[in-house]
Amino acid sequence: MASITGTAVQVSFRLPRQSLQVSNGFSGLKSVTFSRQRKSFSSIQLQRAPMRSQISCAAKPETLDKVCGIVKKQLALSEDTSVTGKSTFAELGADSLDTVEIVMGFEEEFGISVEEDSAQHIQTVQDAADLIEDLVEKKCAA
Amino acid sequence: MENGVRRWLVNISQWNPSELQFASLVSLFPLDDRRVITRYLRFDDRKRALVSRLLQYSLVHEVLGIPIDKIIIRRTVEGKPYLNSNTIFPFPNFNFNVSHHGDYVGIASEPLCLVGLDIVSITIPEQTTDLEFINNFSSYLTALEWENITVAGTSEERLAEFYRYWCLKEAFVKAIGAGLSYGLQRLEFHHTNWTNISVYIDGVESRDWKFSLSKIDESHLMSVARGLPHKAHEQCCSDWSILPDIGFTLRTVEQLIPNVSQKA
Repeated sequence: MASITGTAVQVSFRLPRQSLQVSNGFSGLKSVTFSRQRKSFSSIQLQRAPMRSQISCAAKPETLDKVCGIVKKQLALSEDTSVTGKSTFAELGADSLDTVEIVMGFEEEFGISVEEDSAQHIQTVQDAADLIEDLVEKKCAA
Repeated sequence: MENGVRRWLVNISQWNPSELQFASLVSLFPLDDRRVITRYLRFDDRKRALVSRLLQYSLVHEVLGIPIDKIIIRRTVEGKPYLNSNTIFPFPNFNFNVSHHGDYVGIASEPLCLVGLDIVSITIPEQTTDLEFINNFSSYLTALEWENITVAGTSEERLAEFYRYWCLKEAFVKAIGAGLSYGLQRLEFHHTNWTNISVYIDGVESRDWKFSLSKIDESHLMSVARGLPHKAHEQCCSDWSILPDIGFTLRTVEQLIPNVSQKA
């Protein structure tokens, strides 16, 4: 069940049905399905509040760039090597030693602390960037 | 008589196939394997991935006699390869483990014990000092291990000491099929000059695990972890003296290819 954290939820029954279909690329679409049944729904204006759901927002391009930079450096890949969000750490040749160092690199660069539980689910560079942004946001919200 | 135990090593720095030779070898494997091999960015990683599979299929074929095209190797959720088969094996718990790092790819198999293998290529950190480098991994070491590393002597000796502990820990988690999330700091290795190696898990010595650690060459180490499955206590096989360890055999890619080229 998607839970809404942060600002208060406003229930609005007056929103026209069409607006529930509005897609801003946000995971809010998944929660819309729930809310139809539960009649609790944050109005469009509140969608900026971070929502916990299974799909996290895609990270900003600058975060992804920094992540790629850290990864390339640790794995000694040349600057012009193509590393994208879809690249998996495995195919880039990262072993367990590399993984530990890369995660440390993220912690230092972004001033965050990564739990081992969350780190083990990271497969792609995009996953890493998304997790980092999530942690940075939580840190700023705290 | 076949006992199911193998220890093979391949030095991939001595194998330099042409693109065509490499591609034709890749084509011998199932589609999933081919996809994984070709997705690696760097050719050295592709070589390692290919040789790893070559070793797996060769070994299973040689030890169990299963025709190559009938061999199905799957992976657990954490990524440990295992043989998927309906055949009743002569061995109660046949399993194997591969590892690769640097110039070497290796495989170890056991008929009863859980086996884990780790190969480490010792690289001297360039950007940081040895202690700064090792410090990155301090949360995976126990206080005693950290202490032993820091008093090991020169920078090279400290690094080597760190890699020995790391190699052993990796071999253990690979044997049980866990990943880094296991909590490597729960393991503490005790030894006498790096022989008679035993592990303390959460502070308690385990009688169920034996380890070997050896130098492959000046810059490579490897470790084999063997663990008695719980049922072994009820059977006769809890006596380690009937489960001796063996040394590694160096194989070449050329020696392994004929095994996988045969079709049933």
